[in-house]
Amino acid sequence: MIDIFTVVVPHVLMAIAVWRLIHSDDLDRDPILPATESTFARARRGFRGGRGSANGGPAGGSGAGGA
Amino acid sequence: MAALLAGAEQAVLNLFLTIFVTAFLGAGVRRPFVFVLAYAYIDIVAPQKVTWGFLAHVPVSLIAFICAVLAWLVAEDKNGIRFSPRQFVLLILLIYCGLTTRTADFPEEALEKWGWVWKALVFAMFLPLTLRTRLRIEAMVLIMVLSVGVIVIGGGIKTLGGGGGYGELKLLVNDNQGLYEGSIISTVAVCVMPLALWLARFGTIFKPGWLVWLFAMGICLSCLLMPVGTQARTGLICIGVLGVLMLRSSKRRLTYIGVIAALSIVALPLLPQSFTDRMSTIGNHQSDQSASTRVAVWAWTIEFAKTHPFGGGFCAYLQNRVSYDKINSENAGDNNTAIQTERIEEKGRAYHSSYFEMLGEQGYPGLGLWLLLHIMGVIHMEVIRRRYAKNPPPELAWVTPLADALQQAQIVYLFGGAFVGIAFQPFCYMLVGLQCGLSAYIGRVKRSTPALFRAVRPVAVSRTGAAA
Repeated sequence: MIDIFTVVVPHVLMAIAVWRLIHSDDLDRDPILPATESTFARARRGFRGGRGSANGGPAGGSGAGGA
Repeated sequence: MAALLAGAEQAVLNLFLTIFVTAFLGAGVRRPFVFVLAYAYIDIVAPQKVTWGFLAHVPVSLIAFICAVLAWLVAEDKNGIRFSPRQFVLLILLIYCGLTTRTADFPEEALEKWGWVWKALVFAMFLPLTLRTRLRIEAMVLIMVLSVGVIVIGGGIKTLGGGGGYGELKLLVNDNQGLYEGSIISTVAVCVMPLALWLARFGTIFKPGWLVWLFAMGICLSCLLMPVGTQARTGLICIGVLGVLMLRSSKRRLTYIGVIAALSIVALPLLPQSFTDRMSTIGNHQSDQSASTRVAVWAWTIEFAKTHPFGGGFCAYLQNRVSYDKINSENAGDNNTAIQTERIEEKGRAYHSSYFEMLGEQGYPGLGLWLLLHIMGVIHMEVIRRRYAKNPPPELAWVTPLADALQQAQIVYLFGGAFVGIAFQPFCYMLVGLQCGLSAYIGRVKRSTPALFRAVRPVAVSRTGAAA
């Protein structure tokens, strides 16, 4: 029973932490650093933008790159 | 019936951990940095050892490692990253260890150790490249603390319930290896305490509050109980070292001393007799076989290094043969003590010291590189903690306390490492990686927003409110 407790408590906290992390913009962009973006992220955003355009949405991404 | 319950408990643990690890790796697909956290978690907790099912048959650690590196190469932003001098030291140490493995005295055993050492060293080099934001640094600290918590919380509870004893405390995994070995977990547990306290003060994932403080205190108590439960003398030394280091960092030193003294007075009578008996052998190694073995192996290593200045490769200790006199004293009545000397001969005994581990396995160059790596770490953290100690910009108020906590953890490790062979313990290299990551982050902030340091400071001094 102690083993179950010692496993479950930290793991639940880790799960909550990871859940919060994957929903946080600060994980990849530090608020006090200029925003930069990887080629991969730019390409992915471009792809999403392209899809949005095909559906009648705004084409292309906003200027999130280099400040 | 008891066996049935134990089997059911194991099955639940097995299922739970399998789902957790799968979900953790799955989260990495969405945010690549999570792979780094998953690798750190797997390396510390070793869920593949806890379970007997799917995870035990899959190289999850290697999978997480490969995913972390590949995801970083493909999807991560690499603007502004630099390879620091300490990462170069790690690289040289990695190459050097690789060379000594090729010429090791025990090639098969050396290759087996090399199999996990290279990952620890590469990860320590790689980690700083991924720690680009404050949240990532905090997330890494959090996962390290919670992962160690998986081991120590149960250990602490069992110690409180009287389940401790030298070599008797049953941790989650009962294989007496890695972090599940008594002396090693005692040292690492004490290293984790300042990091847990930092999270309680400056955490943003779990914001400071009474619940967070309660959990942090629980973790710290569990960490303090590990040396008691395992009866590892190294742990007691580590607690003493951390106590002194925290006194140095404390703003109210008299209050701190008073609280420590009061807690000691309350705790001392509650400690088990077997613990106080074992701790009393710290000053008299000749009456204790374990301590006598250490001293004899250290003497052997010094002699070995004279003929093998470049080391004997991993596991070179297997060739040692040591002998020493153990002094037994017994009460012979009438206030007399009968002293007997017993000749003990042993072979293939481990180094029981990180310093002698490096000397014996990697020779003087390896020991020099290892010392350089850690001395540079202590100095770097000291520079950072002093630079931002007074009137830091509000955005960087967490920096000095984190540098302080990382320095404390490293100094505790260096003291504890004098009595335990943990020169290549992956957790300690994660600390090194975190330190490099913090230094690199501060460097990036200074390069990209120098105005933050020039403009905000006067505002902070004059206390006119939040900086623009």
